[in-house]
Formats: sequence, C-alpha cells, structure tokens
Amino acid sequence: MKNMKRSICLILCLLMALSCFSAMAAGKIKIGVLVSDATSSEALAFRAYYTEYIAKAYDVEFIYSDELTDAAGEKSAIDNFIVNNCKAVISFSSFDRPAQIDQCDAAGIYYAVATGTLTDEQYEEYKDYEYYVGAIGPSMDIEFQTGYDMAAYYIDQGMTKFGMFGGGVPYYVDMHIYRAAGMLTAMVEKGGEGANYKGADNKYAIIGQIYQDGGIDTGKIGSLELVAYVGGYDFNDAWFGKLAQMVGTEGIEVILTVGSGVDVLGGFVAGSNVKLATVDSFTPAMGEAMKSGILDYMAGKYAASVGPIFVATYNAVNGAPIRDNDGNALALGQGFWVATNSEQFSEYSAVDSSNTDPAYTREIMDKYAGMGVSYDDFAAFVSQYSFDEIVALKK
Amino acid sequence: MKQPSWLKKLLLSLLIPIAVFAVLEIIALVKGVRLFAGEDSWKLFFRAVANVTLTTFALSINLDSGRFDFSLGAVSMLSATVAGTLAQEWGIGPWPTLAIAVVAAALLGLFHGGVYVLTRIPPIIVSLGMTLFYEGCAFAFTGGKGVSLVTRTDIIGFSTIFNYILLTAIAVVAVIILFDNTRFGANYRALLSGQKIAVETGIREKGNALGCYAVSGALMGVVGFISLANTGSQQLSLNFGSIGIMFTAFLPMFIGGWIGRYINKRVGIMLGAVSMALISLAFARFDTASSVQSIISALLLVLFLIYLNNEFAILSKFRKKQKVSEK
Repeated sequence: MKNMKRSICLILCLLMALSCFSAMAAGKIKIGVLVSDATSSEALAFRAYYTEYIAKAYDVEFIYSDELTDAAGEKSAIDNFIVNNCKAVISFSSFDRPAQIDQCDAAGIYYAVATGTLTDEQYEEYKDYEYYVGAIGPSMDIEFQTGYDMAAYYIDQGMTKFGMFGGGVPYYVDMHIYRAAGMLTAMVEKGGEGANYKGADNKYAIIGQIYQDGGIDTGKIGSLELVAYVGGYDFNDAWFGKLAQMVGTEGIEVILTVGSGVDVLGGFVAGSNVKLATVDSFTPAMGEAMKSGILDYMAGKYAASVGPIFVATYNAVNGAPIRDNDGNALALGQGFWVATNSEQFSEYSAVDSSNTDPAYTREIMDKYAGMGVSYDDFAAFVSQYSFDEIVALKK
Repeated sequence: MKQPSWLKKLLLSLLIPIAVFAVLEIIALVKGVRLFAGEDSWKLFFRAVANVTLTTFALSINLDSGRFDFSLGAVSMLSATVAGTLAQEWGIGPWPTLAIAVVAAALLGLFHGGVYVLTRIPPIIVSLGMTLFYEGCAFAFTGGKGVSLVTRTDIIGFSTIFNYILLTAIAVVAVIILFDNTRFGANYRALLSGQKIAVETGIREKGNALGCYAVSGALMGVVGFISLANTGSQQLSLNFGSIGIMFTAFLPMFIGGWIGRYINKRVGIMLGAVSMALISLAFARFDTASSVQSIISALLLVLFLIYLNNEFAILSKFRKKQKVSEK
C-alpha cells in the first residue's frame, strides 16, 4: 500500500513536470524540418542557422527528422511532426515532394520547400493549395547557370582539357544533372564552330542526353576536350582509383565538380598542377583548401539562404501568407556566391559563419515577417542574393 | 591419405589470384587497356590489398567464432575521425596519427566486446547497436562536420605503395603470430573447435572474445587511417551507412578459407584480398559502372559459394571423366 502511494505520487509529480514543460513550450511555434542529408557541410550550416540563430530570434522550435533515405521515411517523419503539433514543415528532402505536400495539406499544416524548387508540372498542380507556402532556392535554371559559369571561367582563361566529377548524375539527381549540363553547354558554346556533345549542341538537347544516358561520356567538344569523367558516390577502392586516375590523366588542366569536390578529390589534387572547382559551402575546411591552392573556384550556398523560406513559412503560420498576385504559392529563385580566391572566400565566410550577425539577420527579415508584406517586395528581397546585395541590405 | 607436395601446395595456393589475373589480362587485351598503367594503378592495387586484407582479418576473427560484426565500418570511421581530429589539433604526423587510430579502434572493439560479454545479447544484435552508437559518436565528436586534412601534405603523403605493402606485411605477420603462435591463439583455436570442452579445460572464453574484438578493432583502425590518408577527409555516415565495408570482405574470406587448405589461412586471406584487389583495379581501369560492379561481385561470391558447397560432387564427376578418358 505504501509503495502504491509512493508510485502514485511519483507519477503525479512526473505529470506535473511534463505539464509545466508543455506550458513553457506552448508559446513556441514548432516547425518540422525534413532532411535527407544530415552530414554534409552545407546541411550542417543550414541547421546551425535555424537552430542557433532563427530559433532564438523568433522563438520558434525546429524539430529535425532523421536522415531520410526514401519516401516512406518522409511520410513517417511528417506523421511524427503532426503528432508533435508542428504548425509547418520545411523540407530539404525531395524523394516524393507531391506526397509530402498532399500529406501536409490533408493535415492542415503548412509546407515549404527549402533550397530547391518544384518542377513546372508540380508547381502547376500545387500552386493554389492553401497550405503550400512555396519554394525558395536555386531553380534548375540557376543550377544550370552555376555549372555554365564555372566552366566558362576556365575556358575564358584559355584552358582546353577538362575533367568532370558528376556526383549524383548516375542517380538522376536533378541539380547535379543541370550543373553538369551547364558545364557541357559552356564547352559547346565556346568550343568553336560545330562543337557539340554527342551531337547535342544546345542546352535542352544536352540536358536530354544526360537524362537518357544517366552519365557523361568523355571526348572532344570542338576545340575543347572532356578528358575524364567520374560519377557516383561509391566510396570503394575502384571508385577512389577512378578519381586518382582522373587527376593523373595526361594534359588535364582543371576538374569541374558538381558537388563535394574537395571531400572526394582534395587528397588526389593536393600537390598536382590540376585546378579544382566545386559547388559546396563556406566552411573553414573549404577556406583552408582554397588558401592552400587545392581549391580554385567555389560556388557556395550560404547558410542564411534558408532565411527567406523561413520568413514565408512563419508568416503563413501567423495568418499572413505571402502569395503572388494571382494568389499562388511562392516559386522564387536564389543563387550562389562564387569565390575565386582566398580573400574573397574569407570575406564571404566571415558573414556566412556568424551566429550573431549572419547574412540575413532578424533586422533584415523583420521587414518581411508580419502582416501586409506584398509579394513584389518579398520577391525583390529574395532576388537580392549576391554577397554585395546582402551586405547592402545590412547597412 | 597422401599429402600433396609443397610445390603443388604452392601452386594451388596461387591458383585463384593467378587465374583472376589471367582472365583480367585477357579482358584488358581485348579492350585495349593496360591493367597496370602507371603508379596510380599500382597504388590502387596495393591500397586495395591492404584494405581488404585487414578488413577480412577483422571480420573473420569474430565471424569464425560465430560472432557477426556489423560495426567494422563504424569502428574504422570513428577511430579515423578521432585520430584525424587530434592530428588537426595537435599537428602530429602520419605515424602518431596511425597509432592513435589503432589504439582508439582497439578500445572501441574492446568496449563492443565488453557489451557483448556483459549483456549476453546475441552478437549480431549487439553489433547493430554498436554500429548506430559509433556512427552517432563520430557525428557528435565533430558536430557532423567530419574531418578534413586535405591541406596536410604529410598525412596525404603517407599514401605510398611502400607504406601499403609495409602495413599489409606487418598485419599479416602480427595476425599469424598472434593466432598461430601464442597461447591466446591456441585458446582461440580450441574455442573454435569445441567451446564447451575448451571452457571445461580452463580456457576463459570471455577474455578470448574481448581480445578478439580488440584485435579486430585495431585492424579496422589501420583501415580507417588508410582511408583518411588517401582522400584527406573522413566523411560521416548515419543509420547503418558505414556497414558497406564489411561486404568487401566476404569473398576474400571464403577464398582464404579454400586456399587455407594448402597454406597458412592468414596468407590465404591475403591472397584472396590480392584477387579482390585485382578485380577492383580492373573495375577502375575498365571504367565499370557501379551497378555492374555490384552484380559482378555478387555473382562471384555466389558462384564461389556454390562451388564450395558442391565441391565434392563437382570433383567426383571431374575425376570420373578423367578415369574414363584414361581407360
């Protein structure tokens, strides 16, 4: 009997404690975050910005999913967010976006796409859903342009022999395919008369060719030459051997990578005369690689680039959704910062890595967080994504 | 029964690697590709020999005793992460970093063994738990960033053919001495052949299991360091992302078991690893797609297992045919 009383007392105390915690957390808006990548430097930078800056600045709580590997995992994670009383979901995971949107819409919670976009067909289908906030991130056109600019940078310097690391191309990762297509298109356009990639001589034909092949073939492109190509993320001995072979290919001058260039090729490029260009983020490791000459060119997403989609989601949860002039969800493009030398990298990195004064501070975002924000003003804000424009916004 | 001569034993021991090399050379000739086309190819080959030999030792030490271990990749990853991080912070060179990786991995193995011995949970279940735990530890230790040493030319410079051969030779000799020429090894073999009787004769199976886990861990520490020095970075995995490495060890382990009939089993495992390294080199030189690599590797494993399971029947038929043709 005595034990029973003790047990009841203990349970009551625990319940009271739980109620107190719930009451303390009740004022916070909970936002679920779907992630399919929890370990890359870019993913960690986004997470740090949300959890270490935004969460404190706006009194919101971010609940992160595990590292998702398929659509079933996405569904289960959203179920978990719903049970946890999340008011919105910001998604960095793209295994099945339509299913995510449908699930959130059915549950009556807002859904937003960070660092990506829907396809045109998907947007047409979901743009008027009440709970679909929209997408802000590099559109496929911006991804294409990023690859194009990277290749053009070296072609304009007179380089003619290129290697390419295709990352997710064999797995049909859209952004990697578009970046690779941009690189090839630059070679075709700047490779002189009659230059083509497997007969394809324009952007759309090259994109189609890559989707058809699921890979990229080496060969001459007019006066230029793609001398080596490695795709995938096998991380086995044969794959590392292919990467080493690519660096050692006779005459190769530069390796263009659609992502993770330093992590997979840095060790092989170190000490060689081959230049390395990549798409990554402004981490200290990348800064060191650029300082030491291993990395020559970097297009990077900055951590605070996920700030505007948070603002749009925050507004929607607070009853002030931002819709375009036809009442449709957002579909706004946002690009990269490009660093081609160590000084430039340090300048970008200093802003990007700050937890107290990041690229998008609360002061900047407060202008767009709240009632009565027009679509045009918000779109103009998002479009000012270059480093200089953001520095100007901060003044 | 008449024992084969030493020459025959040697030839039979080398049969698989030589046959693999011959087949691959023929394919290379047909394709117009040189299998060993410079230093990079040799480096790939010897790195693969080192990685596969050590991983196969680490796997087989426990698997032979019925202890399936999924955590090999996680031990390798976490030990390389710890060693790489300390190398970065303390500015130490490749050999001290390797030593830290080995010690850290041995301790991780010991801890794994301790959990198994204390809880008595089936080893396969414990190893799944330890895999997730170690993957999570590596993530927490670096804040998820992993380790980047791409600017440390001294550590990247460790990746030489000589060092790969040296590490492989040291590992083979050490494992032979430990398991074939010490009391620990004698106890290990006694436990393999009959645990109940061995325990009744006074052998401490718990201590032996702990030792096996520690040695297995130490070997994976070397593998982790080789990987770290090769790319200059240690990437992290979560949710069992690290277990893939153990699957590279199955075929050489079975090949090693077969070769072990004619020569020391550990040398047999190394020769199995040589065969696998040749195949890895061929994959790289022939630019084989990863999906095709997976299919070929799986087919080779299945075919070899089919042969091992039906060896007596296959050899009997072969001998009958031989006798008929002799008559």
